[in-house]
Amino acid sequence: MNQRSGFLAKLGIRPNEIALILAIVAIIGITLGADANRSYWFQWETNSIEIGRQTALLGIFALGAMMVIVSGGIDLSSGSMIAFSGTVIACSMIYLQYGPLGSLLFPVVVDSAGKSIATDMAHAGLFVQSLVVIVSIAMGLTSGFFVGTLHAWLITSIRLPPFVATLSTLVGLRSMARILCEYTTSTYQNSKKAQVNIDHPFFTWLRDSKHVYLWVAVFFVLAALTWVILSRTVLGRHIYALGGNEQAAKLSGIRTDRLKWFAYVFGAMTASLASVFYLANEGVCAPVNQGRGHELNAIAAAVVGGCSLQGGIGTVTGTFLGALFLRIVIDSVSKIIKSGADIWEGLIVGIVVVLAVTFSQLQQLRGSGRRLFPGALGVCAIITLSLFAALIAMSTWGEKQAAMTMIGVFVVLFVYGFTEKQKARG
Amino acid sequence: MADPIVSLRKIGKSFPGVRALSDVSFDIANGELHAICGENGAGKSTLMKILSGVICDYDGELHVSGQKVQFQGTRDAEAASISIIHQELNLVEQLSVAANIFLGRELRNSIGLRSDAAMESAAKKILVELETDIDPRALAGSLRVGDQQLVEIAKALSLNSQILIMDEPTSALTESEVARLYRVIAKLRQRGATILYISHKMDEVFQLSNRITVLRDGCFILTENTSDTNANEITKWMVGREIESLDLGGRSAPGDVLLEVKNLSMAWPGHARGYRLKDVSFHLRRGEVLGIAGLMGAGRTELMECLFGAAEHTVQGTLLLDGKPYSPNHPKEACNAGIGLVTEDRKRLGIFPAMNVKQNISICSLDSTLLAGLLSSKLEQEASSSMVGNLQVKTASLESAITSLSGGNQQKCIVGRWLLTQPKILLLDDPTRGVDVGAKSELYRLINKLCQDGLGVIVTSSELPELLTLSDRILVLSEGRLTAEFRREDATQEKIMRAATQ
Repeated sequence: MNQRSGFLAKLGIRPNEIALILAIVAIIGITLGADANRSYWFQWETNSIEIGRQTALLGIFALGAMMVIVSGGIDLSSGSMIAFSGTVIACSMIYLQYGPLGSLLFPVVVDSAGKSIATDMAHAGLFVQSLVVIVSIAMGLTSGFFVGTLHAWLITSIRLPPFVATLSTLVGLRSMARILCEYTTSTYQNSKKAQVNIDHPFFTWLRDSKHVYLWVAVFFVLAALTWVILSRTVLGRHIYALGGNEQAAKLSGIRTDRLKWFAYVFGAMTASLASVFYLANEGVCAPVNQGRGHELNAIAAAVVGGCSLQGGIGTVTGTFLGALFLRIVIDSVSKIIKSGADIWEGLIVGIVVVLAVTFSQLQQLRGSGRRLFPGALGVCAIITLSLFAALIAMSTWGEKQAAMTMIGVFVVLFVYGFTEKQKARG
Repeated sequence: MADPIVSLRKIGKSFPGVRALSDVSFDIANGELHAICGENGAGKSTLMKILSGVICDYDGELHVSGQKVQFQGTRDAEAASISIIHQELNLVEQLSVAANIFLGRELRNSIGLRSDAAMESAAKKILVELETDIDPRALAGSLRVGDQQLVEIAKALSLNSQILIMDEPTSALTESEVARLYRVIAKLRQRGATILYISHKMDEVFQLSNRITVLRDGCFILTENTSDTNANEITKWMVGREIESLDLGGRSAPGDVLLEVKNLSMAWPGHARGYRLKDVSFHLRRGEVLGIAGLMGAGRTELMECLFGAAEHTVQGTLLLDGKPYSPNHPKEACNAGIGLVTEDRKRLGIFPAMNVKQNISICSLDSTLLAGLLSSKLEQEASSSMVGNLQVKTASLESAITSLSGGNQQKCIVGRWLLTQPKILLLDDPTRGVDVGAKSELYRLINKLCQDGLGVIVTSSELPELLTLSDRILVLSEGRLTAEFRREDATQEKIMRAATQ
């Protein structure tokens, strides 16, 4: 917050955000060069839509993750929250259509004997269709409110560390979503299902790539709203104060427990909002694996965007760029390597987070005069890095090349470590 | 007297901005119990840290048993047979007593595996020697404080330490535990151990010691045979501290009573004493500065926290603010009632390091900088810059990092933070700690001006001259009790110190 300078300071842009923008441009450039199909040039529209969709999908709840991190906490549960909220939405729709209210709302299909056999979504009027969607999404958001409240209660009243509180909901909510899904389908559709197809016209409409602007718009509006909260309200300032120094915040007369309540509810409700787009994107409510592991992508986006996990530091602009950067890197790798992006996703997120945090501390690392590869730990770390490099080279390049990569990386790092050692002695 | 076992030659140590010790030289004779006395901040702890190898870079020379030593860590000190028993005990609470005693030098059996049984029986032997039935297998964290201390002593014995440093060992003990400690000390001395005993309780010092050394402001004052001196003399040596004298001029007579405190008590569960504060009663008038004196642990900070609704434990007693009952449960309620607290530990409890000067000043009064429900940076700028102007805060700009300011200027920002809330009462907990001399007198003038404007101010300080300069009245706390009250005209450093060491 202090290292701003001159012109950029007036725009409210920080050095790490500039670095991110440059990195994004660089990656687009590299992809243009390395991708034989020149996909970013010839199919820029399709690519923009895909990246826009993916960035919105991640960014919406990355903003929530950021809010919690800035307040000095952590929310590990958002991936499961997405599954839970998605299941609440899907089950609400099933309930409204097949439950006791169904025959009031929907036209009933009658068999030849005059017995009603089903309610019919496709032929229901626009009003009923909208009503079902609005009520269901409201239920999903409400579930976010309650889960966020549960987190805040566990953390402030039971005094659990945020890590433990949200770790238990990370595990618990997914299970709960599966239970809810099986109960609702077996009770109202007479067959126990582990997942539900989402065929409501609203979600099919939303899935259409022509309507991706709406995804991006929702992300932008939420980002703008979050920006106003953090930068222009007392609440936001107090969140920064809470994350920066909780004791001092309390002794300044700030109701820290209420702030935490807000932060965790915001975190869970953004995950609920994201679940709407997850349902549309995948066309299915799958509590078993929807959003699984994605909480870490959201935290990564926030951290890459400059949030400090110690709390008190982080911006909307940074998180926005962090999410965009992650999605572009993932997309770029899939373009260059031409294999499924999802296999590489975790590796990319991991590497990007390590690099981003390392770069932000590079100055400190150099200043402290600490060695990067000290002693036996250093030698083993060099071997580990060489092996990982070989593994990556093997899958993209070939086995012979992998061996050479391994030797190359090992020699380079070993020489670096050796000079480091000499310097430390001299 | 026999040859000195430890001799200190011109020991000096500086921390950034503070000279903690300078030119301290004295000898400790073999087998004696040598008491070291001094006020808070006199340099006792720093000196002991040097002796026990916690601090390794210092000026001067240290000789142990006639040989010059330069410890590189506590291991070296232990090898030279010096052990320290810290005031805040240094045990790993999750490990057993035996494991703590042998931490870092675990006993092994013939095939190199750790041998808990050997450690337990060795620990048991030492503990029996100390007349205690502590189970070596019990977790250190499950023991009472007095027993934990014995474990520390047992650790020193297992190291065969000839020189033991005890840093205020009785501060957390019950009377029977103190008696037991005295017996242990007698036993240790029979075995020929030399003991360095840090305390500011005169009765203990005179009961136990052979000789007494007084430190003040990091300087050696004198060493005296205990039999040749008395408590009054020692207290006088402890307090003869000089500061720049500053006459703040006469003050108008205090107004009506703002705050009345009746029988305030605060529990301290799990501690031998059972209370942090007991039956404290006083009042504060408009336009008055009330000083609160007391040594470390006397309950000054706890008293401030009670008044500010930030108490950790249950508070009993009656508070009347402007004649109306007042019982704050959260600092927010205290703020709303018109009370501000400038905390003792500025770094930990005061500043927001990630925020700039402007934001640090405005944090408590953001509600008055709103336009249409949103923060107006113009109003915030105005409010903060008015304080920076009034209090003459030296800062490059309002956008500078708060951490780039000197301690005194940071403190002014925090005072300004509270003045923006337009308080009736300002609580200042050791406001000049870590503040350089020039900035101190500026803060004194500021406090003086505030109460001329009709504020009631309660100020604590570990420096007596400061309280004598600032206060209209001075209350003295000792171990949670109010032991004396002086008007400024009647108060002297010796009187206050006597009441504080009672």
